[in-house]
Parts: sequence; C-alpha cells; structure tokens
Amino acid sequence: MAGNFWQSSHHQQWMLDKQDLIRDRQHDLSKLTEEEYQKIFNFFASIIQVLGEQLKLRQQVIATATVYFKRFYARNSLKCIDPLLLAPTCVFLASKVEEFGVISNSRLITTCQTVIKNKFSYAYGQQEFPYRTNHILECEFYLLENLDCCLIVFQPYRPLLLFVQDIGQDDQLSTYAWRVVNDSLRTDVSLLYPPYQIAIGALHIACVMLGKENLKPWFAELNVDMDKIQEIVRAIINLYEMWKNYDEKKEIQGLLAKMPKPCPAPQR
Amino acid sequence: MQKYEKLEKIGEGTYGTVFKAKNKETHEIVALKRVRLDDDDEGVPSSALREICLLKELKHKNIVRLYDVLHSEKKLTLVFEHCDQDLKKYFDSLNGEIELDVVKSFMYQLLRGLAFCHSHNVLHRDLKPQNLLINKNGELKLADFGLARAFGIPVKCYSAEVVTLWYRPPDVLFGAKLYTTSIDMWSAGCIFAELANSGRPLFPGSDVDDQLKRIFKLLGTPNEDTWPGVTQLPDYKPLPIYQPSLGLAQVVPRLSARGRDLLARLLTCNPALRMPADDAMAHAYFHDLNPSVKNDRC
Repeated sequence: MAGNFWQSSHHQQWMLDKQDLIRDRQHDLSKLTEEEYQKIFNFFASIIQVLGEQLKLRQQVIATATVYFKRFYARNSLKCIDPLLLAPTCVFLASKVEEFGVISNSRLITTCQTVIKNKFSYAYGQQEFPYRTNHILECEFYLLENLDCCLIVFQPYRPLLLFVQDIGQDDQLSTYAWRVVNDSLRTDVSLLYPPYQIAIGALHIACVMLGKENLKPWFAELNVDMDKIQEIVRAIINLYEMWKNYDEKKEIQGLLAKMPKPCPAPQR
Repeated sequence: MQKYEKLEKIGEGTYGTVFKAKNKETHEIVALKRVRLDDDDEGVPSSALREICLLKELKHKNIVRLYDVLHSEKKLTLVFEHCDQDLKKYFDSLNGEIELDVVKSFMYQLLRGLAFCHSHNVLHRDLKPQNLLINKNGELKLADFGLARAFGIPVKCYSAEVVTLWYRPPDVLFGAKLYTTSIDMWSAGCIFAELANSGRPLFPGSDVDDQLKRIFKLLGTPNEDTWPGVTQLPDYKPLPIYQPSLGLAQVVPRLSARGRDLLARLLTCNPALRMPADDAMAHAYFHDLNPSVKNDRC
C-alpha cells in the first residue's frame, strides 16, 4: 500500500500524540520509572528481533511486528497481556500480513523455546517459554481487536532508500542509516512520527556520525518540519545515551520482576 | 454477537459462510462473514487477514465497506455493508435485455472502484460478476478481496492460480508471474462485454487451452510483433494462428462504437498496452454518462 500514507489507517488512526501516550501509560508508570519502562520495551524489541532473525524474516516484517507490539501497549497496560506472549504473537500476525507466508505455529513455539533458553537465559534463567499454540491463537484475536484491525504499517525503510538514491548512492550512508532506523524501533518514534520523517532523522544521525558535512545543503533544501526531525533525532540519541550506562544482563531480571503482571499470572 | 440477529444464509465465501443479519439496535441490515478457523496452526487465515487489512485502508463508495470485526471464543466475524444482490444474480433476474444506461453506469462504477484500488497499489485479482455487489440504488461495489493483495513492495511472484478462468487475461494464462493492475483491467473488459450482452459470458472457456483459443479467435493470435516477449512466457505454447475476427460489432451488437472502442482497449492481449482504469474512466464512451453517477463523490 505504498505511496498512500496520508490516506492510510496508519496516518489517520495511529499517529499518536505524546501527551496521550503519557496519559495512557499512567498505570504502568506508577509502578515503573519512564527509563525502566523504556528498558523493558527495549528488551522485548530484542526478543522480537531475535525471533524474527531465527525465523529468517525480512526486516520489514520484524519492524511491523515491533510496531504492533508498541501499538498494543500504547493503549493497554503491561498487565493486560504478558509481553512474552504478545511478542511472538506480533511476529506471527506480521508474517501473515506482510505476506511472508504463515509460520507454522509449532515452529514458532519451538523457536521461542530455543531463543529464550539460548539467548535470553540472563533474563529468564532456567524458566522455559511457558506458552503453547492455543495461547498464541487466542492472543492473536486480542491483538487484532486492539489494533482495530489496522494491520498495514508504513516503515521508514522505503523512504530511506529513496532519499539515499536522491543524495546519490552511498552504501556506507545507507547501511548506517538503515541500522539507525532499526534502533528507532526501540523508541516511541514509530508511534509519533510519519515514517518519512523517521527516515530523515536516521539519515541525519548517520551523516553526523560519519562526518558527512557536504550533505548539509541537501537537508537544508528539504521541505520538512525540521523541529520534528530534531525531536526524532533527540529520541534516538537519548536511546544511545541510555545504552552507554546500561547493562541489560544485570538489570533485566529486576525490571521484569517489577513489571505489572496479569493477575493471576500464568503458571510457569 | 448479541448485537446482530441472523436472518438467512447468503452464500459461501472464500473462507467462510456469509449471513444476512440485522443490527438489533439500529435495524440496519448487514452481511456477516464468519471466518472458519479450522486449520489450528494458521490462526486467522491469511485470506481473511488480507481482506481485513485491505478493506481497512480502502474506503470508497464503490468498494464494499467493512464495518466491524467481532471475535468470540473461537470465531471471527466480519461485519460488512449489505447489498441486495451480486451482478450474477442481477443478470439472472433480468427480464429481457439490460438497459444500455445501466451498462454504462455499472461499468463506470466498476472502473472507479478499480482506479481507487490501483491508486492504493491494491490488485483485486479475482474480478467476476459474483464479486460485484449491486444495491437498490443501482450502486455497484467491489467485494471479496480474499485474493487481493497490496503490491508495490518488491514482490517475488504471484501464484498463477488466482483469477477465475473466464476472466483471466492471456498473459496469466501463459504463466506470467509478475503481473500488475493490468490483470484487473482484462477482467473488467470481460465483464463489460458480459454486461452489454445482458449476462452472457464473453469467453466461457473450459480449460486453459480452450480459454486461450476463445480469446485469440476473437482478437487474433498474438506474436512477437504484436506482443514482444509473449513467446518467452513460462507456459507459452504455440496455438493456431487466428486472424482478428471481423470485430466486436458482432460480439457486442448493442454496444455503441465508442463502447466497442473502450472494450477493445481493455481486451488487449499485450498487458503493457491494456488501458488503465483512470484512462478508461476518461474515455469518450462515458461523455454522456448520467451526471448523477459521475459526480457522486465517495
């Protein structure tokens, strides 16, 4: 559905307002600080990313799954559904919507089990992945409903490639900016800004990091709201700042313990 | 589900049963499409998801409206705008010939719905009279997007088994894997002729070979001159060389010269030369279209 972002459900229903986000997160933010909240989402974005890579999904599918995840919790508390269940469900739904084909549910569950055991044991210790096919299928319904069936998500990757083309093909720049877009999935920007602005923000960061002074005129000629771009840049830079002094391996167990949970918690 | 009272079964869709129902509060009549979840592994079927997410993006007068998605324990129900009948049933209910004004109005609305889909990079891929709904006000709406898909993102290939044989263009019949909006335009041409003939299908082929022969008998067998690349298509096979027959006048005798010109531009074997929907809407055939149809904004 490329090219019609302005008429899309993404633009019409899912460009959220910063103030609304803060209000809707009030419950969770009474139990967690904003930074702790962000760290938890950073962790589950990693789970989605690793799951997607293990299942050999394209980055576009992984990004869509991550946005579903963020949209769900933009309107719901973490206690509504265990994020460890919602994360694979988002991957499952996104792979169908992005026409990657259906991931067999048993393969999904097996992959979750392996990934949790091999890559995230620092968070879950000896605990096994507790969910089964029927949980995923039921959760898919709730996810669909909470997304109000808005399943087509526009991503910054395509606009990014177009901008790079316009600048004049530069592989180093596009690779770097592409990674910044991946990182941006760990912030709220996908809920707050149109994808093309995120692409410009990512390019901006990439240019600064790579010291590409010569692109200043290109940015100056863009007909965009530079304040918005600066907000996006700041959100991503804040993430990088947070990463500098953060050891997820040490802190995540404590954070997960503190996280609001469904009641009663599923049996582990 | 308490909100709706089921009235009668309307039919079987691509992935589930369709019922006519009444909203108990507003008394509005709707169509409920129950999604079967028989394959425990797939969850919500891809075809249903495709329809849900495309209709969520496509809001237009000539496209059936998805009002709501309801879920209960193990069922998913899509709530659609209800239309009185589909074009197939409309043909069956005709007493004698269809009015030519109606042909023009339906064709224009079909093209307008398609132009909207195509501008959103959505192919319908399964156009046929059964998938065109008609309501009491003479409005036509595209429905059943179970096979439709968004394109525009680099695509590998489409399965060739998607369009009902009778409305399938020759490029797809020859196994073309990378097709575009032109697939829908061929189907629209076939439906145009069927409209003009009060419901007699234009190319009712029995299998792929028969389908191709029927097409080429009317339009002439394509060759590398008329359609560069045709012999390279995956399932290309040499067929008898037919010369273009005397023309469309005998096939659609009631259609005006302008109508026949439009038909010829849609029924063009070479997909690259087939007329797109927005150009077709601007064709001279529609110059005397009833303004109430044309101006009806979505």
